[in-house]
Amino acid sequence: MRYELTRFPLVKAVLKNRWPQLVVLTVMLAGFLFAIMAGLVGTPVGNQNFVIVFVWIAWWAILILVAVPFLGRGWCAVCPIPLPGEWLSRGAILAPHDGKKPWLNMRWPNRFRNIWSQNITFLLVALFSTVILTTPLVSGGVLAAMLMVAIGTSLVFERRAFCRYLCPVGGFIGLYAQTAPLELRVKNKDRCIQCVGKPCYNGSAAGYGCPWQVFPPGLTRNTYCGLCMECLRTCPHDNIALNLRPFGADLEKPSRRMDEAFKAFIMLGAAMIYALVLLGTNGTLKSAAYSVGSVTWFGYAVGFLVFILGILPGFFWLAVRIGQLLSGSIDPIRSAFTAFATTLVPLGLMSWIAFSLSFVLTNASYILSSVSDPFGWGWNLFGTAGITWQPLLSTLVIPMQVLALAGGLLWSVRTAQKVSAETQITPLPVVIYAMMATLMMLGLLL
Amino acid sequence: MKRSEILARCLVITATLSVLVIPPAARWFNNRQAVELHAKIAEIGGWTPESISAQVGAPLHLRLTSDDVIHGFAVGKLDGPAVDVEPGKVTSLTLNFDKPGKYTFYCTRWCGLNHWRMRGTVDVTGKGTLDPQPAPPPLYTTLNLDLDAPHPVAVIPVVKPSAVRGKKLANAHPIIRYLIPDYYRSHSPAQVYLDLRADQSLTLLNDPQVWDLVAYIWQQNTTPAALADGRQRFARNCAACHGETGAGNGVFADDLAQFDTLGTSGSNRPVDFTNPVTMLGAGPGLLQGKIIRGGMGTGMPMWGSIFSDDQIWSVISYLYSYHFEESIK
Amino acid sequence: MTTPRFYWLLFGLAGLVIAFFPLRFHFSEPQEREFRIYASQYAYSPAKLSANPGDTVTIELVSTDVVHGLYIDGYGVSVTADPGETARLTFTADHPGAFRLRCNVTCGALHPFMIGKLQVGTNSLLWRAIGLSILTALAGVMLFKPPTQIKTA
Repeated sequence: MRYELTRFPLVKAVLKNRWPQLVVLTVMLAGFLFAIMAGLVGTPVGNQNFVIVFVWIAWWAILILVAVPFLGRGWCAVCPIPLPGEWLSRGAILAPHDGKKPWLNMRWPNRFRNIWSQNITFLLVALFSTVILTTPLVSGGVLAAMLMVAIGTSLVFERRAFCRYLCPVGGFIGLYAQTAPLELRVKNKDRCIQCVGKPCYNGSAAGYGCPWQVFPPGLTRNTYCGLCMECLRTCPHDNIALNLRPFGADLEKPSRRMDEAFKAFIMLGAAMIYALVLLGTNGTLKSAAYSVGSVTWFGYAVGFLVFILGILPGFFWLAVRIGQLLSGSIDPIRSAFTAFATTLVPLGLMSWIAFSLSFVLTNASYILSSVSDPFGWGWNLFGTAGITWQPLLSTLVIPMQVLALAGGLLWSVRTAQKVSAETQITPLPVVIYAMMATLMMLGLLL
Repeated sequence: MKRSEILARCLVITATLSVLVIPPAARWFNNRQAVELHAKIAEIGGWTPESISAQVGAPLHLRLTSDDVIHGFAVGKLDGPAVDVEPGKVTSLTLNFDKPGKYTFYCTRWCGLNHWRMRGTVDVTGKGTLDPQPAPPPLYTTLNLDLDAPHPVAVIPVVKPSAVRGKKLANAHPIIRYLIPDYYRSHSPAQVYLDLRADQSLTLLNDPQVWDLVAYIWQQNTTPAALADGRQRFARNCAACHGETGAGNGVFADDLAQFDTLGTSGSNRPVDFTNPVTMLGAGPGLLQGKIIRGGMGTGMPMWGSIFSDDQIWSVISYLYSYHFEESIK
Repeated sequence: MTTPRFYWLLFGLAGLVIAFFPLRFHFSEPQEREFRIYASQYAYSPAKLSANPGDTVTIELVSTDVVHGLYIDGYGVSVTADPGETARLTFTADHPGAFRLRCNVTCGALHPFMIGKLQVGTNSLLWRAIGLSILTALAGVMLFKPPTQIKTA
C-alpha cells in the first residue's frame, strides 16, 4: 500500500529544484553556526543559552516527536553538518560543474562499513551527556567537533562518510526511520536493470551519485537513505518516487544485522538510564553522571555500559533462546537474535518519545525566552525574554507517556509476531521482555 | 562559473557571516557605555572584574549577570536597594557617587559557603561635593576591647528579663545615667547588671528585677523599627551560619569547621547567640567590633565596609532580643 | 464466535475499563501534614513525599547551599528559599496522583534535573498503566496471530 507523493508535478518540481532545498539548508547551517557561537561565547547558564535550549529542547523535540516517527530520515535531508565539507569536496554548492573531481574520495574501508562506529560515537556522547546537555561550552564544542570531523571526512573519503558511518545521531535516526510512513524507492526495478551507467549511484551532469552510498534499486529499507533527492535529479527514467506508506512497513522484513540489533539495545537502555538518572529523584546518581573523570562517574559509566551492552542484550538472548527451545528451532541463535531485535525498534522509539515528552514539555517555555535573548546577554529581540519558566501541559504529560508506551508495546508485539512467522519461533518470551521493558519505563516515568 | 552557483555561494556566505559577525558586534556596541560585571560563586572566581573605576558625578553603568546561580549586588555604604543578579539574564544598574573613596560591592543572595567573600571594589576619584569627614574610630578601639578574649559571665538571669517590667521599675526607680547610649554601648549586660546591683538606690530590688532594668535599658536604646531592620538584616546575612534562631546551627555551621586556619583549638562553629553565658558578657561595643572586623581565620565576615553604624547597631539590638523580652506578646 | 473483531472489541473495552473505571480508595480524614525539605544542588531531601487527598500540606523549604525553589508541577504552587531563610508553602492536596517537585530558581548546571516527587493518595495512574500494559501485551498476542501456527514443544 503505497501512495506516491511525487506523482504531483509541483511536489516533484520542488524536490528536484535545488533552490528550495538550499534555502532550507542555509537557514539550518546559519542556525547551527549560531548555536555553536552561543555555546562558545554566550552565557554559561544552560537554560538561558540558545545552544542548549534550541538543540536539546527544540530540535530534539522536533526530531524525536515529529521528524523521525513521521518523516524517517527527514532531518538528515536538511542537516547542515555535512554541507561545508561536501561543498568543499565537490567544489560547488549547486549542481556539478567543470567535471571537477572531488578531493581524495577514498572508499570507506570494508571492515568498517557498518554502524558499529556509530554505536560507539553515540555511546561516547551518552556517557558525557549530563555535561553536554547542561553546559553551553561543551555543547558548542561537541557540535563544532562534529562539524570539523565531517569536513575532514569529506576531504578524505567519498560521499557522506560522516553521515553514514560516524554521526551519533544518524545511527538511531536510521534505525527508527524504518517505522516512518515516508519512503524513497524506485518505481519499477526493470527500468533500473535496463539503465545504462546507473547515474543514480555514479552521478551525472544533473547531480551527484548517492551521497549515502545507497544503490536506489536496492533500497528496500529506510535505514540508510538520507532523503537528499540527488537520485531524483539524476535518474533519467523518472523512476524514483517519494511514497507515503503504512507505519512500520520496513519492520516486515527484519534485518539480521548485529550492529543494528545493538543500536536498538543502546537506544532502549539509554532511555531507561536517562529516565532513572535525569528524571529521577536521586541526587547522588545525577552528581555521579555529571562529575566526569571522578571515581563515581567511572562507576556510573561502567554501570551504564554493563546495563546497555550486557544486561539488556543478555536477557534478550535468554528470551530468544527460550523461544527457540520451546519451538524446537535449530536455527543459529545469532540469526534469531538479530531478527527478533527488530521488535525493539518501535519499543525503543516510543520509549524515547515518552521520555522526551517529559523534559521537553517541562522546559519548552525556555524556547520562548531564548529566542529573544539567545546568548543570555540581556537582549529582547521579540519581547519574550522576560517569560518565566513554566511547565507546559503538566496534566497531559503522563497520560501521553502511557499512551506512547502502551502503543509502543502493542507495536512491538505485532512486530514480534511477524518475526515469529518468519523464523518459526514462538514470540512469547520476547513479548514478555518487551512488556517488562515497558513496565520499567512506566515505573521510572510515572 | 554559472550565475546560479555564484548566487548560491553569496547566499551561503552572507548567511554565515551575518550569523557569526552580528552578535559579537551587537555586544561590543552595547558594552561601550557600560561595565559588564559577571558573578560566579566565590569558589570559582566571584566577581569579574573585581575592581572598577568611577568618577564622582559621572554615572557608572553596570550590566550585571550571573554565570551560575542567583546572586545579588549592592554597594556598601551607599544608599540603594540590592538588585538580584540572575543567571543568564542581565540587570542594568546605574550608580552615582558624590564622594570619592573606595567602595565595596558585595553579593546579597547566599550563593554557597563563601558567599560573603564575593566582594569587589569601586575606586571613585574626583572631588566630592561634601568635605570628606574622617570616620570616627570604632568603639572597641577607643575602649581598648580585646575582641578575641572569651567573655563568659558568672551570673545569668533565672527568668527572661522583661523590658516592660523594667520600664515600670524604672518609673519608680529612675536610672537616667544608665540609659545614655554611651553607657549602654560600652558595657555588657552583665556589667550593667553589676553596676545596677551595686547602685545604692536600687538595693531594694531583687535580682530578677535588676535584670528587668537591664532589659529596659536595652529597649530604650533601640526602636521597634531598628529591631525589625536588625531582624531582617540578620535573616538575610547571618542566619545561614548562625541559624535562623541564632543558635549557631545554620545550614553552613558544619562546613565552617574547616576554617581552623589559626589552629585555634575550640570549635570554629558559628557563635550561638542564644547562650546567655557568653552573650550577656558581650557589650554592644564588643559585638560591633566583631561585626566590623570579622573573625580572623574563622568564617565570620568583616562587615565594616558594607554596613553603616546604624545598621550594625540594629543587628546588635536584635541579637539581645534572644535574651530580653521587648513587649508583652 | 471468536472473530478478530470480537477480540478488538473485547480488548478495547477492557482497556477503557482499566483506564477510566472510577476507583474508590479509602484514606483517613484529611489532616495537616508538615514536611521539612532540605534543598541542595541538585536534590531534595526527603525527595519523596506522600499525603492523603484533602490533607493540608505545609512544606518548609530549607536551602543548604544556594537559593533554591520548589514548584509542584500539576498544582502550580511554588516557594523560594535562600540559605538561612526557611520558606513555607501551604496548600491543600486536593488533586490525587503523582506530581513532580521541580526547582524553579536556576541553581547551577543540573538545575533542570533537580526533581522530587509528591504522591497524593495512590498513584492510580501508574496502576492503570501497568494494567494497560499487561492488557496490551495480551492483546498483541491474541490479535496479531501469525498466519501459520508456531508449535510450542
